[in-house]
Amino acid sequence: MAKRMTRREFNTALAAGVALGASGLPHARAAASGPVVVGTWGGDYQNLLQKYVAEPLLAPKGIEVIYDTANDTVRKTKLMAEKRLPRGSMDVVALTASGAYEMWKNGTLEELDSSRMPNSKYVLTKLRNKYSVPHIYTGRVILYNASKIKTKPTSYADLWNAELCKDGRVGVIDIQYQTTIESAAMINGGSLTNYEPGKAKLLELKKMGVKIYPTNEAMAQALKTEECWMCIMWKARGVMWQNAGIPVEIANPKEGIVLYVSEMSMAKNAKNKDTAYAYLDAILDPQPQKEFAKNMGYNPTASNAGLAPDMASRIGFDAATEERFLVQDQEYLAQNDPQLQEWWNKVFKA
Amino acid sequence: MIRRRSTGIALMLPASALVVLFLALPLLLLFRYSLNRFVPGQFMVDALTLENYVKVATDPYYASVLKTTVLMAVGVTAACLVAGFPAALYLCRASVKFKAMLILAVILPLFVGNAVRAAGWMVAFGQKGIVNYLLAFFGASPATLMYTPAAVFVGIISVNLPFVVLTLQSVLEGIDPTAEEAALSLGATPLEAWRLVTLPLAIPGVLAAGVLCFILTMNAYATPVLLGGPRFQMMAPVVANEVLNQNNWPFGAALSFVLMVVTLALTAIANVFVIRRYSR
Repeated sequence: MAKRMTRREFNTALAAGVALGASGLPHARAAASGPVVVGTWGGDYQNLLQKYVAEPLLAPKGIEVIYDTANDTVRKTKLMAEKRLPRGSMDVVALTASGAYEMWKNGTLEELDSSRMPNSKYVLTKLRNKYSVPHIYTGRVILYNASKIKTKPTSYADLWNAELCKDGRVGVIDIQYQTTIESAAMINGGSLTNYEPGKAKLLELKKMGVKIYPTNEAMAQALKTEECWMCIMWKARGVMWQNAGIPVEIANPKEGIVLYVSEMSMAKNAKNKDTAYAYLDAILDPQPQKEFAKNMGYNPTASNAGLAPDMASRIGFDAATEERFLVQDQEYLAQNDPQLQEWWNKVFKA
Repeated sequence: MIRRRSTGIALMLPASALVVLFLALPLLLLFRYSLNRFVPGQFMVDALTLENYVKVATDPYYASVLKTTVLMAVGVTAACLVAGFPAALYLCRASVKFKAMLILAVILPLFVGNAVRAAGWMVAFGQKGIVNYLLAFFGASPATLMYTPAAVFVGIISVNLPFVVLTLQSVLEGIDPTAEEAALSLGATPLEAWRLVTLPLAIPGVLAAGVLCFILTMNAYATPVLLGGPRFQMMAPVVANEVLNQNNWPFGAALSFVLMVVTLALTAIANVFVIRRYSR
């Protein structure tokens, strides 16, 4: 038989419910749940994010990761186009270090609160900034075919080899215009704040007969078929290409190792800031950091990743080289990248 | 027949509204962007300046890109018309059963996107691709095909040819074959019958197919990027580079307008010339 609830019992139950709800509120705010839209590169990068960040770390918390896959240039365009909107289409945005700086300067990125990302305390000091979380990094090196080039290169200057260039054995990559001009500048009196001397040096290389490949993938193919014997590339790519059986060895240029850092930022007009913070924290977790090292050859940006020594030595650099790591001057690049690209297209490639 | 004027306007309204909304307004916005100024590090700064158009007009680099694009468009259009006309003629004179199969064969390549088709050509044109394999088989030395204007030319023809053949075929179907037969019976050679009877009657189709092919080539993007390589430049990839890679929207917008105006102007000139030539 159904028992009727008295008014006193109803009031007690209501008060208990309200108290319970109120006690749970702070907890609900701290543990974010819901969707997070991540603008990212596709391919292996996105697959690894899904497998080692979204599924094991965020799904158990009730955070659903939605990907907006495109190139970083498209993401930058989107951020700029949506700048005036109260709510943008992306929450977390993967960008290169220079892309993130550019977007930060243009007011499209949120200043991050490190207290909301417990893992951020492990981020390597050299890579820290207030608008993004460095995700992975690598350094720029020289790749060469050791069976064809008997003397190991020690400097970017070794690419300026008239004999090799004449036969089309030295290649540069179209989409790497910025780092190629930078490398040339480093051996011709320039610096990371002055790429101009690199232009004259590159025209010498052009005169020698250097080949220009459109993409990294086209370069990989040329190295594989031994059409090209030497190029400038990121060490992570070199390691992956070695794993794929491409005959390349890695040489550190004596001019120093310039870093490539892939970062993740939060859009200023992100819809889901709580889940975005949870995402940014999760990418620094030791397990995904280790998996990106293993699967893509990039170094962890968090000091607690705990890479196996053999892996660390294969993808990383010795302590002396690390001491001399060079970081690009983002303000210089923001001001000069358009004219550098214009020169590359109109003069170097012409 | 539409008798009442209001009915005609009502019928035109939905399509016109869509055109205004999705074509005219974005074009207006693009034109406004083209008058803005690009400041490195700040992207687009509001302004009312013609400096982007002045740059397009005075910088020889863009003149050379435009020249390459126009030459490629003219060459591809001529090649497609020459190759497509006999194919279309054969198609419209084939038996009904065979015609259906042939039309399907012409349409089939359109089921595959431009980029995928270009990727196929990349495999064929590579240093160790099928073309060089065949050259080696016949004792010839290997040729460099990838990243050449010739690769782009072949690639764009393969994209455009089905459009040209189908456009020509639809017009040729409407020409009474007895007109050509009459010419032949009066002593004309087959070439004369084609030149003096079939071709003038097919001119509207040639014009439509040519304009379609020309516009498609002027705006080609995937094929020049994938087959032309870093040193070969056409207008659409240059516009994309300005907007996407350099974030220079004002200059990208100005280049887009120049490309559009040049395409429209050349199309209009060709129309006037052909109509005058054949309306005598």
